[in-house]
Amino acid sequence: MAAATKRGARQEPPQIVKSLWGIGRALAVPLGSVLLAFAAGAVIVAVTGGDPFKAYQALACGGFGLFCFGGEPSVLQLANTLVFLTPLIMTGIAVALPFRAGMFNIGAEGQLIMGAVAAATVGIHLTGWPAWALLPLVLVSGALGGAMWGGIVGVLKATTGAHEVVTTIMLNFVAQWFLRFLIIGGPLQLPGGSSKSSPIASSAQLATLVPHDSRIFLGLPGAVYRAHTGLFIALAAAALFAFLLWRTTLGYEIRAVGQSQRAARYAGISVRRTLIVTMLIAGGFAGLAGAVQIAGVDHNLTDQYFTDTTGFDAIAVALLGFNSAVGIILSAILFGALHAGGSVMQSDAGVSGSLVYVLQALILFSIAANFLRSVKLRLPALGRGPTSPGAEAAAPAVTEPGLAADDKGTA
Amino acid sequence: MRKPPVRLFSLGVGLVLAVVMAACGGSTGGAGATPTPKVIKVGLVTDTGTLADKSFNHLAGVGLANAASTGNICASLSCKGQLGIQGDVTESHANSDYIPNLQNYATRGYDLVIGVGFLMAESVGTVSGSFPNIHFAIIDGVGTDSKGTDLKHANVVGLLFKEQEAGALVGTIAGVLEKDNAGAKKKNTIGSIGGIKIPPVDHYIAGYQWAAKQVNPSIKTLNGYSNNFTDPTKCAGIAAQQIASGADIVFQVAGGCGNGALTEAGKDGVWSIGVDADQGAVDKSVIASALKRVDVATFSAIKDVKNNAFKGGVTLFGLANDGVGYQADNGTLPADVMTALTDMTSKIKSGSVTVPDTVP
Repeated sequence: MAAATKRGARQEPPQIVKSLWGIGRALAVPLGSVLLAFAAGAVIVAVTGGDPFKAYQALACGGFGLFCFGGEPSVLQLANTLVFLTPLIMTGIAVALPFRAGMFNIGAEGQLIMGAVAAATVGIHLTGWPAWALLPLVLVSGALGGAMWGGIVGVLKATTGAHEVVTTIMLNFVAQWFLRFLIIGGPLQLPGGSSKSSPIASSAQLATLVPHDSRIFLGLPGAVYRAHTGLFIALAAAALFAFLLWRTTLGYEIRAVGQSQRAARYAGISVRRTLIVTMLIAGGFAGLAGAVQIAGVDHNLTDQYFTDTTGFDAIAVALLGFNSAVGIILSAILFGALHAGGSVMQSDAGVSGSLVYVLQALILFSIAANFLRSVKLRLPALGRGPTSPGAEAAAPAVTEPGLAADDKGTA
Repeated sequence: MRKPPVRLFSLGVGLVLAVVMAACGGSTGGAGATPTPKVIKVGLVTDTGTLADKSFNHLAGVGLANAASTGNICASLSCKGQLGIQGDVTESHANSDYIPNLQNYATRGYDLVIGVGFLMAESVGTVSGSFPNIHFAIIDGVGTDSKGTDLKHANVVGLLFKEQEAGALVGTIAGVLEKDNAGAKKKNTIGSIGGIKIPPVDHYIAGYQWAAKQVNPSIKTLNGYSNNFTDPTKCAGIAAQQIASGADIVFQVAGGCGNGALTEAGKDGVWSIGVDADQGAVDKSVIASALKRVDVATFSAIKDVKNNAFKGGVTLFGLANDGVGYQADNGTLPADVMTALTDMTSKIKSGSVTVPDTVP
């Protein structure tokens, strides 16, 4: 019954979102979450005997190259942040798009791994190809690899109703262990017993922003700056995501399905087809992220993907960014900076880099808390439209379509 | 784009802060703030195991802390100040942090940057190429390119271990105990479980089997590989097989996976032997551990830099320079085992025997 009420609320057109009030609220929640997290983090640092100001100064230095007093080169810190935020944008989209369709994609990590595997396989084996053909092929195969992995979830969801949270989590494990098989004793393992693959052909690699062969750039050898042109691919992906969502029929259908499957079906939209296509595209974005990581930074498959958390951080990125393109870019910058800054925080301020993970968790926690509050606030007010895009995005995650169907059956 | 103003601003703030800090007097925990007479600065980058891994990273931290009198390592481990250096540590939380973390110390002109573990070989190879004037050391590896070939940079020293000598010590223990029929199964059989068949793993196993046969020629040795360093269930499975075939003692050379072998031995009522660090706390069945003295190697690399005696290439650590050893766990070893150990140690140290490093 509660589910039905919420569905009713979601059918209202989100006009208020566009008002200034909506924008204000939309910004207030993520900014408030971040500030709250940092305040709580400062308390934790102080209680554990550290200096919060010094910790955050080092974090700002490592993340944005600001307030660097220990001789750290600012531009190098920025370059590191760019390296970390690039895949977060694309995987963030991979989480946000299914969110818009009412699905919770926990599988961006697995899709990223399959993208990386596909891209690396192509990049390793087609060594003779020229860069103009090989590089696009590597990126496309990465996207296809991820799309396949996401598509499995979509098909299962549309045909058998298998819950995407369960299937994506399981497929993460499958992808991870498949990668393990490939590079530990499997066909892609580099001879000599190390748990990694051969590097991809140099013609399959993305150029770095600072040319690698430049001798000295801002006092350092050019090779130390790892930021690469994959950043532009990520930004283009974000633009594509926004266009797809707001300027195409498919985007309309995705949003319609996300707000109410019944209404969408009534309007003649094939819910099954939309779910499958959404997961295909989402997986494609995550796979592209994996391909860009291989072509841009790693150049070979390594055991780092056994412990990689990009696809999980992406959930926080998407939530904090309210599943919008601009929001995802902004929160990817924040999370990329946190990642890059954590190490500097430890080396400079002596505060464990793990604090960064505490901060990430606190940010996510306060968003989740706000989510629940806004949903609760709207429950009695039937008929009033959603007041923030965040609430709009949250609702589908709370009321899962499969469960709603069960409700109907028992009622 | 907005770089110059930012730099000016941070410079300004930096000056103010420097004045404030100078006014406050020398703060203790300050990392790299005071340009006093040349203090040797050493940066340690752990792998994802972090300082709390009770193994390599922890031991490297201990080596650094023994040498350091200041630096953030002193917040985690007690500094002994034996070399009066500044020791800073950065724990990596993902493999993608290795390069930035190494670069962080290199760009700030540290005298020595240490990477822990062969997983960092490629990162050390990459970063050391960009900073030819900074000294690098890597534990259990050398600086390599992406294909795993040693780049032989003159500013990199690989700190490698004669694992076979540590293996020989625990092999002696196992061999004598079996000769005494002290084990639970009394079938004169011992086992070993390797992670992946790579040289450092096989060094241990080769020394173990060789020494057991030296002191107990009729002993039967079993050996298996889990192809894994992380999943305890796999190693537990191999250990169970070996125990079922009569093994009284199993020696694990498989990192986190191998811990499963130690607990399996405990469940089946037989003995086990730990690897790399003192593993007595992992399970009651552990009677001894083969040790890689990463702390000794780290300290020695720092000492070389301090004494201007840094030499690129490879430094080998064995019994002769206290780079490997053993530790008795959960009880004391019988007298005849101790005699055999003393004998084996002196033979290896004097060079009258050479321990093989390949598994036959």
